[in-house]
Amino acid sequence: MITAWINSHLLSFIVFAPLLWGLALLPLSERQAPLAKLLGLLGSTGILVIAAIQLLHLPADPMGQVYVERFPWFTAVGVPVDYHLAVDGLNLWLVLLTTFLLPVTLLGTWNSIPKRAGAAVALFLMLETGMLGALVAQDLLLFYLFWEAMLLPMYFLIGVWGGDERKYAATKFILFTLSGSLLWLVALLFLAGRAGSFAPGVMAQAVAALPPATQSILFLAFALAFAIKVPLFPLHTWLPDAHTQAPTGGSVILAGVLLKLGSYGFLRFALPMFPDSAARYAELLAVLSVLAIVYGALVAMVQTDIKKLVAYSSVSHMGFIMLGIASMTVLGTQGAMLQMLNHGISTGALFLLVGMLYDRAHTRRIADFGGVALKMPVFTAFFLVVTLSSIGLPLTNGFVGEFLILNGTYTSGFAWGRALACVATLGVLLSAVYMLWMVKRVFWGPANEREDSGTAHLHEDLNAREIAVMLPIVVLIFWMGIHPQTFLGQSERQVGQMLSLSRAPHGPGFALSAEVK
Amino acid sequence: MSLTAGELSAIMPLLIPALGACLLPIASLDSDQATVKWIRAAMFFIALFALTGGFFYLTRLWASGAQPSFGALHMDRLAQFGGIFVLVAAALAVLQLWDHLHQEGWVKGETLSLLLFSVTGMILFAATGNLILLFLGLELLSLPLYALTATVRMREKALEGGMKYFLTGAVASAFFLMGSVLLYGATGSLDIGVIGARLAQGAVDPIALVGAALLLLGFLFKMSVVPFHQWTPDVYDAAPHPIAGFMSVATKGVAVLALLRVMGMGLSLSAVAVPMREAMAILAVLSLVLGNLAALAQTNIKRMLAYSSISHAGYLLLGFVAGTSNAYAGILFYLLAYLAMNMGAFGMLSAFGLVGDEVSFEQLKGLGWKRPGLGIAVSLCMFSLAGLPPLAGFYGKYMIFKELILTGHVSMAVVGVLASLVSVYYYLGVPVALFMEKPSEFAEREAAERPAVLAPLAGATVLVCGILVLVLGLMPGTVLNAFARPASQEVLRNLP
Repeated sequence: MITAWINSHLLSFIVFAPLLWGLALLPLSERQAPLAKLLGLLGSTGILVIAAIQLLHLPADPMGQVYVERFPWFTAVGVPVDYHLAVDGLNLWLVLLTTFLLPVTLLGTWNSIPKRAGAAVALFLMLETGMLGALVAQDLLLFYLFWEAMLLPMYFLIGVWGGDERKYAATKFILFTLSGSLLWLVALLFLAGRAGSFAPGVMAQAVAALPPATQSILFLAFALAFAIKVPLFPLHTWLPDAHTQAPTGGSVILAGVLLKLGSYGFLRFALPMFPDSAARYAELLAVLSVLAIVYGALVAMVQTDIKKLVAYSSVSHMGFIMLGIASMTVLGTQGAMLQMLNHGISTGALFLLVGMLYDRAHTRRIADFGGVALKMPVFTAFFLVVTLSSIGLPLTNGFVGEFLILNGTYTSGFAWGRALACVATLGVLLSAVYMLWMVKRVFWGPANEREDSGTAHLHEDLNAREIAVMLPIVVLIFWMGIHPQTFLGQSERQVGQMLSLSRAPHGPGFALSAEVK
Repeated sequence: MSLTAGELSAIMPLLIPALGACLLPIASLDSDQATVKWIRAAMFFIALFALTGGFFYLTRLWASGAQPSFGALHMDRLAQFGGIFVLVAAALAVLQLWDHLHQEGWVKGETLSLLLFSVTGMILFAATGNLILLFLGLELLSLPLYALTATVRMREKALEGGMKYFLTGAVASAFFLMGSVLLYGATGSLDIGVIGARLAQGAVDPIALVGAALLLLGFLFKMSVVPFHQWTPDVYDAAPHPIAGFMSVATKGVAVLALLRVMGMGLSLSAVAVPMREAMAILAVLSLVLGNLAALAQTNIKRMLAYSSISHAGYLLLGFVAGTSNAYAGILFYLLAYLAMNMGAFGMLSAFGLVGDEVSFEQLKGLGWKRPGLGIAVSLCMFSLAGLPPLAGFYGKYMIFKELILTGHVSMAVVGVLASLVSVYYYLGVPVALFMEKPSEFAEREAAERPAVLAPLAGATVLVCGILVLVLGLMPGTVLNAFARPASQEVLRNLP
């Protein structure tokens, strides 16, 4: 009976089980922290297993939505709000990525949380509810609610367990995100008033009936909220602060999933709902993305702190994802979809590795290291694999994604498409420069002999737990690099269908698959 | 002269708290009231008994669907909503007062008696459209509050605050009375419905316009809308914490309800409604901007909450600017949310045992980890005040902003959301202090020397408020349809 219930309410279960599990962990005392960590790990692994078993049953090319749950939630105030969850080609792999990163994070940062670990684990689980809910929500107000619900757990994770500047970073994080999303809410309510519904398909029809200037303003309100989350240059300034101050686990989740929700929002809502405005502003988005790629890479190059370097590399990589989306070609968008997963895995892994190094050395300054390879060969091997994947070496995941994105941009047909693709390719080169230069300074060469150096504090290599965390990541890196079709198949048709409608200058508006039936 | 059953049931909600208020001074006649515990317990018991009695009477009246009236006193749905609202706020305040007054060492029966008289006035204020009765209600609710502000009179600020409140309040009452007189002169009636009907015929009478403006001033003063807000921070600062919370919630609440009756029901059809609405739009924006910006700079929590309550008055006024049936229902929902979150916010001060003239964020540092349940409940209230979903405060704002946008006031909605963005910063100050900062060494040493503060009743009220904030946020539609909508129906019936 229970299994039958779970099957018919699978998404609700996957979304809310972490929240309830997290709440159940809250009363555990400080002394029971190991128990809380263990239960948190078991719970999140359970969610991963259930999600993987159930969702991987999907046909290779789901034309519509699967595991739909839909009923009116509150219809009291004029516009009805639906509780509408579903999985389709666009969000399937992001859902799996989220459920995968949670146990990886909890296991990977097992000893990195010195105190009140129980509360931290509970917050991670609540965060998972927010992220999964936002990913599977098909009703815009529901999406908005989950989107905002992600803020508070992350706010506390940064603010309580972060570094010295944690309060500043946490407040900046929440204010930046809210400033975008509140204006977006106004646009959303305006549209809901016109459409009489929060369903994206119905709203898209209402958009088509509006004058172009209004459409543009609404699109920009949507785009602003998503661009801050991505974050797109020049709205990125909260990200390096948040990343450097957040605890390792917070950084992993932030880079791994939270940022993706920005680009996912573009893909799922902003572009299909505003086909005309999207076509009009695609070039602006593309230019900003390329600026983010180059700017992020250049700033990453001069960082003295490894974590900050990874944070700026994140800005650069997210620029690639946005470039793929802005190209409005199937190739570029598919590349962006893949790159979202890549970035979640590679950058998440980089943050984990930096965290492992920091736990041992208690410093992250590049100058404090040197010759780490001599002391920690296994660690170095893992770091190198992840680095190469982040650079985009062929046979690793990064290559496929960046190749598709650059290809899509080059063939996009936009006036500046080719030029932008060329400049963006420069970004790939720059990423090799800053990553490899960092690797050279940290890992190669003679061991740093200063007594207070980081290298001097490195006594033991990775233990079994840490290797167990890194192994699945490495497997995924190569799998995605060698056989990307596994991860691209589900979204291909849907992306193609979406784009065929979105390029039409005065088309009937993009009908989402739910409404197509 | 005899009363019919219907007339009696119309005034019973007023009689019950009034009776309690009269009994209390007798119970506290004993000069040992401050030393004998059971006398103190008896006083609080009488107060709570009267409040819960009134509460149950009103809820049964609500459930029965009866809307009795006695002369110009109409115990209709809106009035019943107001009565229940006030009684709940007062009951929470009484529970918090038990702990707070003990912490201050100033337990007096008069405090409770005054509070109950004020409650009586508030219920009357929300239950009539007659200008004379409105004025009586206004005075009956205000005069005890002036005294309550100064009740802990050994504190330096108390007398000053009470005096300020009295002087400014008296001027506002005088304006209110003047407005009533002018409206009577212009139309020859004291009943707001009749006044509205007479004004609806013909062009704008300048005398009626001035009268309506002065009447509005009286309401806005009680709501602490800019520019009639200057008393608010000083008075909240001076008053005992639960009284400040009660004032911010109940006084503002009944002022909104009475304004709803006067503006929504009485004057909505007349020509004066248009300039009134424009004035409210301007004042709402001013309140949002000034309240939020001033709150940013506060180090004293009570002053921060005072400025925040000014900004919330702005949000409520925005609902009047939209002026649709959904907006009025939204205003009532907002009031329910505000009741939960603001009583929780002020209750926190008693629950953590903060006393004295200055309650700063400094004193809250690290307390969240010492009492996690309380810390979480307080944080929920703060996030709700800031309007973060999925909590009660978000839906209050959602309902009002949505109507604003639908009626074409998009720019005002943008001002509203930007104001709530600013407010996030200062509301977060509380959870930041509770969970993210360490107490100073001096504070730690001091805390180690004193016995631990246990304020079980105040703590329980805060927990209840936290749960309410969550519940209202999780089922906004149910609450809206069960309470806010039927109550606002009264007003809506007369809308075009």
